[in-house]
Amino acid sequence: MSKLDNALCEIYHMDEIAEREQWLNHIHSLIKLVITVCFITVTVSFSKYDLAGVLRMGVYPIVVFIFGELSFRSALKRLKVILPVVCLIGVFNPFFDRQPIMEIGGIMVTAGVVSMLTLMVKGIYSVFASYLLIATTSIEKICYALRLLHVPAVIVTQILLAYRYISLLLEEASRMMQAYSLRAPNQKGVHFKVWGSLVGQLLLKSIDRANEVYESMLLRGYQGEFPYAAKGFFRVRDCVYLGVWFVIFFCLRVMI
Amino acid sequence: MNPIQISMEHVTYSYEKSCPILKDITFKANKHECIGLIGANGVGKSTLLKLMVGLNTGYEGQICIEGIPVVKENFPKTREKIGYVFQDADSQLFMSRVYDDLAFAPRNYKLPEPEVEKRVRKALEMVHIEHLKDKQIYKMSGGEKKLASIATILTMMPDVILLDEPSIALDPKNRRTLIHVLNQLNPLKIIASHDLDMILDTCSRVILLSDGKIIRDGDGKEILSDRELLEAHGLELPLCMQGIPD
Repeated sequence: MSKLDNALCEIYHMDEIAEREQWLNHIHSLIKLVITVCFITVTVSFSKYDLAGVLRMGVYPIVVFIFGELSFRSALKRLKVILPVVCLIGVFNPFFDRQPIMEIGGIMVTAGVVSMLTLMVKGIYSVFASYLLIATTSIEKICYALRLLHVPAVIVTQILLAYRYISLLLEEASRMMQAYSLRAPNQKGVHFKVWGSLVGQLLLKSIDRANEVYESMLLRGYQGEFPYAAKGFFRVRDCVYLGVWFVIFFCLRVMI
Repeated sequence: MNPIQISMEHVTYSYEKSCPILKDITFKANKHECIGLIGANGVGKSTLLKLMVGLNTGYEGQICIEGIPVVKENFPKTREKIGYVFQDADSQLFMSRVYDDLAFAPRNYKLPEPEVEKRVRKALEMVHIEHLKDKQIYKMSGGEKKLASIATILTMMPDVILLDEPSIALDPKNRRTLIHVLNQLNPLKIIASHDLDMILDTCSRVILLSDGKIIRDGDGKEILSDRELLEAHGLELPLCMQGIPD
């Protein structure tokens, strides 16, 4: 399978995971969104030298991975591009902040190293929290939650359509690459001379396709605001889930 | 109540000013009719359907749906009455699950969720795909997608159904299912297709288009059995009339 097909499969697979019949998936999307935002806010609020405090926040991703029956290995595989980028944050701190703060096994640890590690952990946790949100909530439900938070319809619709457009673009790109490779069997990759026309065609085709999808939406009553299934009021378990995590975050941040 | 649901009077349309693709088209379609729109490639069958729903605008003449002119101001009113099934089912189905796609239109029309659910269930039953309700769309076969795309418009309970090449890329079994489903649907249907066998099985009236004009409008069997007429306009007799079993 080509890289494009793999990427497409990953998108479809994420949609599938988000639609599983699992209790965590049935928690109200607004609750999960609020908890995610709250977790990220609390995590980044720790001081840059409080590595132990930040590490303790790991309880959230660990618990959600376990109770959500999500594969940690698959998550790492999916996040293999973004995680190294996140780890680059603060990579220069050890060079600027050389004040020694402790000694471990005869090796002096500087404040720069601690702040670098703290930033890395904060970044990794934030990425995992976002991953856990999209792995347990479909894009439509996340957008519905955003609308409940009064995020403007234009922005929410843009997010939703952009997400849909990615798969359209990948489908077209995959089809074109297949057609190209079948007529250039001995060639590895795409010859630079055809890059221009290939990208141009891809753009035109995907715009055509996106336009047809948009027309189909218009013909079914779409008038600028995406229709979401009204989820009704929060249930007791939603409130319990929210309450439990608020207490845990409060304890981890303030009391311990 | 007016039995005429669609009327086109002297409609001319062109993508480029110099060469009109449709010239002086006039016809009326009545309630519960099933009309086959036939013609060779590029004669304007799809364009004609798109004009009826207002996807192509800037035509000359008049198009009315139940007496309401198809102009921009009236699109919300006219589009509510028409269900349009695209040639490519992938353009019709854009949500991740079948249920969500079917619920898209009734939710847009602000129907309460129990009513949405009722309509979705009924539409799935009508096209015999109840088992696909929660299926991910990318996992469906071409035939399943086609039936699901018809179901997406049935949830709107339209008065008029327009289908653009509905039998394209379907295997014989799915094609038979589609014909069965189409014959069961009560609203006015206009089917643009090259599949003359399907047109013969579903439509009592046929409109033959050629060079952007209506060449013949009349009884389906009569037109579809006229070898000379069909061959003169780039078509052939349906396979079943050529002595080749369908």
